[in-house]
Formats: sequence, structure tokens, C-alpha cells
Amino acid sequence: MTPHPPAPSARPLGLRGVTQRFGPHTALRDVSLELPAGRIVGLLGRNGAGKTTLLHVAAGLLLPTTGTCTTLGTPSEKLDTPELTRLGLVQQEGRCLEWMTVRQHLDFNASFYPRWDRDLEKRLVEALEVDPKRKIVQLSPGDRQKVGILLAVCHRPALLLLDEPMSALDPIVRKRLLDFLLELLRDDGCTVVISSHILNDVEKIVDWIVALDAGAIVEDSPFDALQESFAEWTLTSTNGSLPAAFAEPFVLSHQGDARQALLRVRTTETEAAARFAAAHQAELRARPLNLDEMFPLLTRPRKKQP
Amino acid sequence: MPPLLTIDHHNGVPAYRQIMDQLKLQIATGLLPPGAELPSTRALSTALVLNPMTVSKAYGLLEHDGVLERRRGQTLIVRERPPAARQTARLDPLRQQLTAAVHLARQLDVPPAQAVKLFRELLES
Repeated sequence: MTPHPPAPSARPLGLRGVTQRFGPHTALRDVSLELPAGRIVGLLGRNGAGKTTLLHVAAGLLLPTTGTCTTLGTPSEKLDTPELTRLGLVQQEGRCLEWMTVRQHLDFNASFYPRWDRDLEKRLVEALEVDPKRKIVQLSPGDRQKVGILLAVCHRPALLLLDEPMSALDPIVRKRLLDFLLELLRDDGCTVVISSHILNDVEKIVDWIVALDAGAIVEDSPFDALQESFAEWTLTSTNGSLPAAFAEPFVLSHQGDARQALLRVRTTETEAAARFAAAHQAELRARPLNLDEMFPLLTRPRKKQP
Repeated sequence: MPPLLTIDHHNGVPAYRQIMDQLKLQIATGLLPPGAELPSTRALSTALVLNPMTVSKAYGLLEHDGVLERRRGQTLIVRERPPAARQTARLDPLRQQLTAAVHLARQLDVPPAQAVKLFRELLES
């Protein structure tokens, strides 16, 4: 196959109507997604929602059962050296050559990439506190994860796919990793998709959220906009007459009694709180939700709007 | 020296909004006087460990609001504003805090006269 030059203007990742089946099991259902360059996307979902499958499709490790996936401007079934050398993937349980030392493995991988950055490698080995002389087989789960990251980023990828990259890393190393991801974004305009349940970390760096539920996309929004639309409202009735349930479609959850209620809501209307308070004759205090609190509301099937 | 800002990533308030609020407050208190230069998007996003898009969004909105302006080249500076606008800018953060206090007063059923008296006492103490 003749190598073709990478198209820098192309979107790093585009999925159109991707369905992925494994025998009777459907892992992705009609997934469509477009990621522009220079975005850090948080990929959220409960266990088994399809996050890993989506990342594997994006990396070309799986070819969609139906639909198309375009990675770095090329359909995933045609991915070749020009694209693969600009792609980085950190897998949840990355496989390494166990008998090699970390140093040998880095050299081995570097030989495949024309853009392997030795300075970056040196800095990251120090920042992540990896001992290059140790054999892979002797490494703790945390150190293995660090090696997986090193092997996936030292060639300065244009698209970096991270599947639970930091579950075994301590908070100090995690912070250094986040700093580094932002540096890649600033210096190279790298696009990052990160799937992680460590939401405190995710919310520090992402500017976009994609959520999956049972293989389908249930959210695809800027993080700012989500922060500005989700809220918790504490209602205190002025006359003890709060209803047992609220009919307003933006009320996502509710607990309380006739005097006080705690609601989780999603609305972008600026006057919604004031009107709601007036309608129910109540004092209303609002506070925004963090990503931990949003997670259960984001990763469930979309409520049908009447 | 760049303005000292702290971003709380876990309070649910978008980071760009936190930057805007803190810069506005520093400008209102005179910590950042008219003409003061702001760090570049790149420098501030590096210092705060933030996505550069977050900083450029905050800067863009502050420019749009007339709080900052772009000087020759790309440098952003604090804009000189008429006294009336400065007065409003000073009252805005106070209004925000007091609104929360008003809600609490109503919830606690504290009569307005008593609440105002308390505020005056605190001001003068």
C-alpha cells in the first residue's frame, strides 16, 4: 500500500453510525462523534458502557460491524504508518514484552517512530519516577501503568487515547501526568480522549464530555455548559405546601417533604430558579454540581422530554 | 507579577467563570489598576495548570464586557473605565454575597429590619 501524507486539517477522530457487535452482544450502538483538534475529551460511562470498545475502534484495533470510523483523516480499516505513528493508546491492561527492561522497551518502541522525542522521554521518566533498569516483569501495577504511558506518548501523538491510564497511580504522579497532558495540548495541539473513573482528575483538564450508556452516546457537550446547566436546589417552603413530586421536566431527582426539598436539576434558563421558587412559594438556594455529582445524571438513558 | 488566582476544580463552577470573577474582584479592589498587563493565555494556563481554551474564554468574555482591552500587539490590559462603571464593578461582588445572605435571612425568618441592623453593626464594628 502506498503511504499517503497525513492530512493535518482533518479532524482527529470521527465516528459515523458505528455499531460494534461481539456475537450476540452489542457493545456500541449507532455511535456518531466528531472531535476537532486540540480538545481534551472526558469519556464517561458505567462499567460495560462501551468506553474501551469505542477507544479500540478509534485506534483501529477493532473494525466497526457497521458504520465508519475515521482516525487522523483515514478510515480505520486503512490506517497505516503515517497515521499510526501519530496515534497514542494507553490500554487498561497494556501488554508489554515482559523480559525487557524499561530502557530496552523504550528503545524498542522508539525504533518504530520517527518523531520519538528523547528529551521528552527523559523528562517523563523522571517525572513519573520510573526506574529504567528494572525488568517489566518485576514492576508493580502502578509502575506498569507508567511504562504504558511512556510508551504511548514519547512520539508526541496528534491523537492520544487513554483508557483508565491512572487507576494505579498515586496522587502526586497523577498530578504530574495531568500537567504533562496539558503541556502536550499547549505545545502540539494534541487531541486527548481520556476514559477514567477518577473524576476529580478528569474535571481538572477536560473541556468536553462524552458519556455512554449501554453502548449509546447519551451526552456530547462542552464541560462548561454542563457545569452551568446542572445544579442542586434546596427549596424551603414558605407555607409547607411542596408537592410530593415535581412535574417540571428539568427536575432530575427529588427528595424531601412538604417543607423542604433537595432537587437535582438541569436547565440553561437563567430565570428558571426564580420562576420555580415563585411557583412553589419557596425560598431557593442553588449550587452547581461537580463531576462526581453529575456522573449518575449523565450516564443514564436520556430522559424523554415531553 | 501575574495575578494570583486559585481555581477550585471541584466546586462545580466552570474554571473560566472563576477566572473572570477573581479578575473582576482584583480590578474592583484596585489590586489590578487600569493599564495593568495580564499574562498571555499560554502563561496563565501554564501557571494555573488549565486548558488554554479555558483562559482564552475568560479573557474573551472580559474583553467583550469591556473590563479588559487589547493593546497593540496582543497584550491584554485592564481598561480605564468611567467612575460610574467602576462603582458598579465594586458593588457587584458585594451584591452577590448579600444575595446569599438575604436567602438565609428569609429561611431563618429574620425580619428585614433586624437583618439590616445586623449588617450595619458588622460594618461599623
